[in-house]
Amino acid sequence: MRFFRNKRLFIFLIGFILLVVLVGYTFKDRIKVTFAEEFINDAIGWVQYVIHTPVNFTTDVFTNIKDFRNTYEENQVLKEQLSQYRSLIYEVQEVNKENEELRDVLDLMESDSIRSHEAIQAIVIARSPERWLEQVTINKGKNHGVKANMLVMTADGMIGKVQSANEHTARVKLLTGFDQFNRISAMVSRDKGRNIFGMIEGFDEETNSLLFRIIEESEQDIAEDDLVVSSGMGGVFPAGVPIGTVKEVTSDQYGLTQIALVEPSSDMYDINHVIVLDRAVDQVDESSEADDGEEEDNEE
Amino acid sequence: MKKAYLPLILLVLVIFEGLAINLLPKEIALSDYLIIAHWVLAFLVYIAVYYDLEDTYYSIVYAFMFGLLIDVVYAGVLGVYMFSYGIAIYAVHGLRKILHRNFYVLLLLCVTAITLADGLIYLMYTVIGVTDMIWSDYLLRRLLPTILANLLFLLLLFPLLKKRIVRWSEEQLDHGN
Repeated sequence: MRFFRNKRLFIFLIGFILLVVLVGYTFKDRIKVTFAEEFINDAIGWVQYVIHTPVNFTTDVFTNIKDFRNTYEENQVLKEQLSQYRSLIYEVQEVNKENEELRDVLDLMESDSIRSHEAIQAIVIARSPERWLEQVTINKGKNHGVKANMLVMTADGMIGKVQSANEHTARVKLLTGFDQFNRISAMVSRDKGRNIFGMIEGFDEETNSLLFRIIEESEQDIAEDDLVVSSGMGGVFPAGVPIGTVKEVTSDQYGLTQIALVEPSSDMYDINHVIVLDRAVDQVDESSEADDGEEEDNEE
Repeated sequence: MKKAYLPLILLVLVIFEGLAINLLPKEIALSDYLIIAHWVLAFLVYIAVYYDLEDTYYSIVYAFMFGLLIDVVYAGVLGVYMFSYGIAIYAVHGLRKILHRNFYVLLLLCVTAITLADGLIYLMYTVIGVTDMIWSDYLLRRLLPTILANLLFLLLLFPLLKKRIVRWSEEQLDHGN
C-alpha cells in the first residue's frame, strides 16, 4: 500500500513538471508550430471546413428571418445612400486618375498602402471555445501564401492578425485579444495640418474598446467619431486599413498623454469571410531582411 | 471496432466546440457573460460514471488525450486543458466509487468536474497572463453561466447516450460476473 502511495505521488510530481515545461515552452505567441501540431490542425481543419458549411447555413437562415422584419426601412435608407454614392464613384474615379498621373510625373513608387497588397480570401471555419484567447481558424494556410503577422480584415476594417500558419489553415488572433505585445501603429488623418499618430495598445475589456495612445498630436485635437486607420509605420501591417472610431478621449494615469477609446469598426462576433493582406511581391524583396527582424519580436 | 465509438464521439465533440459560439444568440455572445463549451468534459463525465469500472481508467486517459487535442487545435498553449480535464476527471473517477450511480449523482459530478476544470484553467491562464479577470467577476460572469450551459448540454445527451454507454461498457469491459 505504501508503495502505491509513493507511486501516485511520483506520477503527480512528474505530471506537474511536465505541465510547467509544456506551458512554459508554448505560452508565448509562437510563430512556428511543430510538425505534429500542424498536421493535427490541418486534419481537424479539413473536417471543420466540411461541417462548417451546413451549420452556417442553418444559423444563417435564422438570422435571415430576423432580418426580413426591417427590410423595408433599410431599403429606403439604402436607396438614398445609393444616389449619393453614384456621384461619389465618379469623383473617386477622377481623383484616382489624377493621382496616378501625378505619381507618374513625380516618378513615385506605390506607397505601402492597402492597394499594394495582395488579398487572400478566406473563410472562418472555427472559433476557439476558450473566449479569453479570442482566436479563430481560417481555411487558408502557408500553401496559399498566408504567413504569421499578416493583417486580417473584413470589408468593415481590421479584425486581427495571423498568429501562426499551418499548411492549409491558419490561426488568427482577433483585435479583442490584443495586448501590449501586439501593438499596431495607427493614425487619425486630418485635412489640414498634421495627422495624429499613435499606437493601439491593446483591448480594454471593461470599456469594450481598443486603447489608442496618442504619441504625436496635431493642431487639431482628436474628437469623437474620428476614424482611426493603421499607419503602416511599423513596417509589418499595411497603411490605410480602418481600425475603428473614437468613442471617448481620456488622459492616461499620469496625465501626460491622451488615450482615445476606439470602438472596432468590424463586428468581432459575426465574422465569416475575411481577407488576409499579403505584402506585394516586389516589396518583399526590398524589405525581407527588415521584416525578419521585426517578425522575431512579434510586435508592430 | 466498437471500442472506437467513444474516441470518435469525443473527436466529433472537439470539432463541434469550434462552432459552439454560433449556437448562442447574438445578445448573449456579445454580452459580458462568457459561456465556454466544455462538451468534451461533459461527455467524459458520462464515460467516467457509466463506462469505467473501478479498476479501469479509460476516462482519465481520454481526458488527457482530448484535452491535449483541444489545446493544440484551439489554444496554442499546450497543457492547460490537458491537465485541467485530466485532474477533473480523475476526481470524478475517485468520487463515483463512494457515490451511487444515478441521475442526480451524474449532475453533481458534472458540476464538480466543470468547476474544477474551469477553475484550474482560470488559475493557469492567470499565472501565464492570458487573462486578468478578478475572481469575483470570474465566478459571476464565466463560471456560473458556463456550468448552467454545460448542464443543459449534459441533460440533452442523457436520453441519447446513457443506455448506450452502459451497454458498451457491459460488452467491452470484463464486469467480473
